[in-house]
Amino acid sequence: MKKVLKPREREQLLGTTYAFPMGIWFTLFFTIPLSIIVLYSFLKRGLYGGVEWEFTLDAYRQMFNPSFAKVVIRTLWISIVATLGSILIAIPCGYAMAKSKYQTILLFLIIIPFWTNSLIRIYAWISILSTEGFINTLLIKMGILTEGVQLIYNNGAVVLVLIYMYLPFAILPLFTTIDKFDFALLDAARDLGATKLEAIVKVMFPNIKSGLSTAFIFTFIPIFGAYTVPLLVGGKDSTMIGNIIVDQVSKTRNWPLASAFSMVLTLISLVGVFWMLYNGKREQQQTKKTTQQSLELNIRRHHLRKVNSK
Amino acid sequence: MIKHQYNKKSKISFSSAMLYLTIIFLFVPLFVVVLFSFNDSKGMQWSHASLFWYKKLIFESPSLWSAFKNSLIIAFTSSITATFLGTLAAIGIKWYRFKGRNYITTISYLPMVLPEVIIGISMLIFFSAVRVRLGMFTIFAAHTTFNLPFVFMMVSARLDEFDYSTVEAARDLGANESQTLRKVIIPTIIPGVLSGFLMCITMSLEDFVITFFVSGPGSGTLPLYVYSMIRYGVSPVINALTFVMILGTMVIAFTFRRFLKTVAASS
Amino acid sequence: MKGVEIAVEQVSRAYGTFKALDDVSVTIHKGEFFSLLGPSGCGKTTLLRIIAGFDYPDTGTVEFDGKDILPLPPDKRQSNTVFQTYALFPHLTVYENVAFPLRLRRVEKEELDRKVREYIRLVQLEEHIDKKPSMLSGGQKQRVAIARALINEPSVLLLDEPLSALDAKLRQNLLIELDVIHDKVGITFIYVTHDQSEALSVSDRIAVMNKGKILQIGTPYEIYEAPATRFVAQFIGESNIFPCKVLACEPYGKEYMLTVDVPSLGGEVTVTDYDPSEIGAEVDFTVRPEKVRITPNPPKTTHTYMNSYKGVVDEPVYSGFQSKFYIRLDNEAKPIIKVFKQHTAFLDEGPEIEWRDTVYVSWTAADGYIVKETDR
Ligand SMILES: Nc1ncnc2c1ncn2[C@@H]1O[C@H](COP(=O)(O)OP(=O)(O)OP(=O)(O)O)[C@@H](O)[C@H]1O
Ligand SMILES: [Mg+2]
Repeated sequence: MKKVLKPREREQLLGTTYAFPMGIWFTLFFTIPLSIIVLYSFLKRGLYGGVEWEFTLDAYRQMFNPSFAKVVIRTLWISIVATLGSILIAIPCGYAMAKSKYQTILLFLIIIPFWTNSLIRIYAWISILSTEGFINTLLIKMGILTEGVQLIYNNGAVVLVLIYMYLPFAILPLFTTIDKFDFALLDAARDLGATKLEAIVKVMFPNIKSGLSTAFIFTFIPIFGAYTVPLLVGGKDSTMIGNIIVDQVSKTRNWPLASAFSMVLTLISLVGVFWMLYNGKREQQQTKKTTQQSLELNIRRHHLRKVNSK
Repeated sequence: MIKHQYNKKSKISFSSAMLYLTIIFLFVPLFVVVLFSFNDSKGMQWSHASLFWYKKLIFESPSLWSAFKNSLIIAFTSSITATFLGTLAAIGIKWYRFKGRNYITTISYLPMVLPEVIIGISMLIFFSAVRVRLGMFTIFAAHTTFNLPFVFMMVSARLDEFDYSTVEAARDLGANESQTLRKVIIPTIIPGVLSGFLMCITMSLEDFVITFFVSGPGSGTLPLYVYSMIRYGVSPVINALTFVMILGTMVIAFTFRRFLKTVAASS
Repeated sequence: MKGVEIAVEQVSRAYGTFKALDDVSVTIHKGEFFSLLGPSGCGKTTLLRIIAGFDYPDTGTVEFDGKDILPLPPDKRQSNTVFQTYALFPHLTVYENVAFPLRLRRVEKEELDRKVREYIRLVQLEEHIDKKPSMLSGGQKQRVAIARALINEPSVLLLDEPLSALDAKLRQNLLIELDVIHDKVGITFIYVTHDQSEALSVSDRIAVMNKGKILQIGTPYEIYEAPATRFVAQFIGESNIFPCKVLACEPYGKEYMLTVDVPSLGGEVTVTDYDPSEIGAEVDFTVRPEKVRITPNPPKTTHTYMNSYKGVVDEPVYSGFQSKFYIRLDNEAKPIIKVFKQHTAFLDEGPEIEWRDTVYVSWTAADGYIVKETDR
């Protein structure tokens, strides 16, 4: 007779059957590789690449070498500028898309460049900005310039192209949350005496916080770990952490150092992600409390303050 | 003279102006490249329109086409694997309590949020540590790994809207485990599965960074080929290629236009 | 009679340390319309799911016609379920939803079509045959669920609060339809509800549950007129319940006449009961509000076993066809007693009774009853 399983045993069995193939896959190709990186970051570098099995904090010490520290700082400011730029552009875009009747077409228009090969997009910028590129050729032809100007291979170009590359990452989550936002709340705020901008800042922003933090994280993390953009449109002084890691692996063959830098990237990304999840959770809880009421209160209070200060 | 009050309200608001400017910003670089793909001569000096570079692309770029073939093979194999594994796992995680559930849930989101460089480097180091020769297989493994979270997430989102009692109803009405899967679960979650699959294909076709680390001799994909073209001597063939790729993207996006919102919500 | 006899023996089911079902035993007869009645969270759904095969008891057995069915998965059991949320397949039309079980069994095409149409006619959904579930109203969805559950010709139909999502009027109509369907198909129905009026109006027998236990099993009449425990008395209908002590117990025709001491009513009360009680036993005295008569003057009849008290109207509650009065009795304990008074236009017994009026409440010994298991 076939053995009959109790539902709880069956649940265990079924859950395992369904989920374990993916679990094993991730363990093999994600958890183990990542653990190896953690491990390697504490080992001594091998002479010809690889590692020697000896515990040391050398790799972490090397990170404070001024030339690396400079790169880390540069990475930070480039990422912050590019991320904030993307989000500032993305907020009105997401808003306009959510209000638009042609959402599908607009989505289409945002997604097409986003899905086009990233190298092709970088290449497009190279052919526009380079000394013999589109802009220079055009300006020379119009007689404004006599000789091509170097518009590329500097930090400005890196920031511009990064924004170009990751803008959709900011627009899409913002669009999704703003689309769910109840626009009647804006009318309510206007009704209670807020100006249009006040209504947006005081009523809409608190309600789309999760979208904002998702947009921030989804733009910041890939920009922070960018590799191709600084490599292809950046100059000598545009290297970012991603480039160091790759150089340490493929040129200098200092695997422990590459691993240590990877750890830094990973940790920063994880902190960002948990911050985002935390924000999302908190917002969910807040919306359960009657947002409408607290909003009205806020606006009223704000309004009163304005009246009083007059 | 008295001006009409309602005239002061401009037709185009600030936000839609921004949106249109952004769309122009997104398309202008591509448009320039496409424009010059029809240029007869090399460089940014316009001579006259011709299909010269397209001819070159189609008939005189065998290595490009073999890279493209590799890309297609990788895209389809890894997307199918990822869709299969991810869908099953999403079902299992959503409906059953079992040991290891939390681990799998957490681990399945991480590859999506870590920078690509990290995934690439860690796989490269892993493959060399276990002495696996870099090649088509390693690319396939890497692509499946970064594709899996997207399938998992999209199918999970779909399952969240799913009423589990329909599964019990199917069982109650006489369907066994596999009939329930085929006749009730799959048909209901198929939009999520399809949009996940679609995401996989596009991401796999376009990935450069991760592929760059785990590819070996003879296993170059199209993005790798494009990279070498950009790095070591640009030929306007790449302009022609750009247009073809944009067209391809549009066709894919258009075929799946119904799922665009799902894609937007999860990217 | 079609259907099966279902024997649930000493079934327990715990979630962690919480006992959702605690030693539940019940036998449901062939073809019976059996209701499980109890407050939210008392374990009704859990019991139903165990019978259907979606859950499994920690201990105990479930038998259909003497055969142990616990080893069988849901698809191998002779029962079908109408779910609380209907659980219609969203991707299939009404027709395909109903046809689903037959398609699984690969029923031949013409036979399938004939049966599907027959069952759709049974639940009167002919006009909606090609609609998707999302286009149906709540009542229509529920009828699709019933047709789909019946088409396999199960021996038992399990219904988990199938009417809870509907409004009062529709609920009444569908309840009657359900009863009609039960009479037509003649199989065993197990009907889960927390609505006592639903259970009382259609069931052959009812099991009243609380906190994972079955407190009483009986016909609607027995449950209402002779509640076994204080909880049942309170849960079914409304009751005035007072703790008391048995002073005397004598045979009285087929029943027994008891004299009990009710401290909160300020002394002795006479009451009849079906069973004898021990002298000195601590029990509960109960009288239903609709059995209590309310009059502005002392009651005229001088029945030997009449209990009568003076009091003041504490609060009148008007509710259309009747009024409910909370009367504060005129003694030391100042107990409140609930009284229903029907508004019968022609047989009016004197002037309107209003707030703060002094009134008399009275009932005979036969109107009250004793609840022995006080579950205190
Ligand atoms: N999977 C579970 N895990 C933990 N506790 C559970 C689970 N299922 C049910 N319970 C608990 O068991 C008790 C009985 O639940 P059940 O669903 O049987 O109640 P019910 O009588 O059907 O209530 P309702 O009328 O609200 O549907 C509840 O207190 C519930 O919280
Ligand atoms: Mg229930």
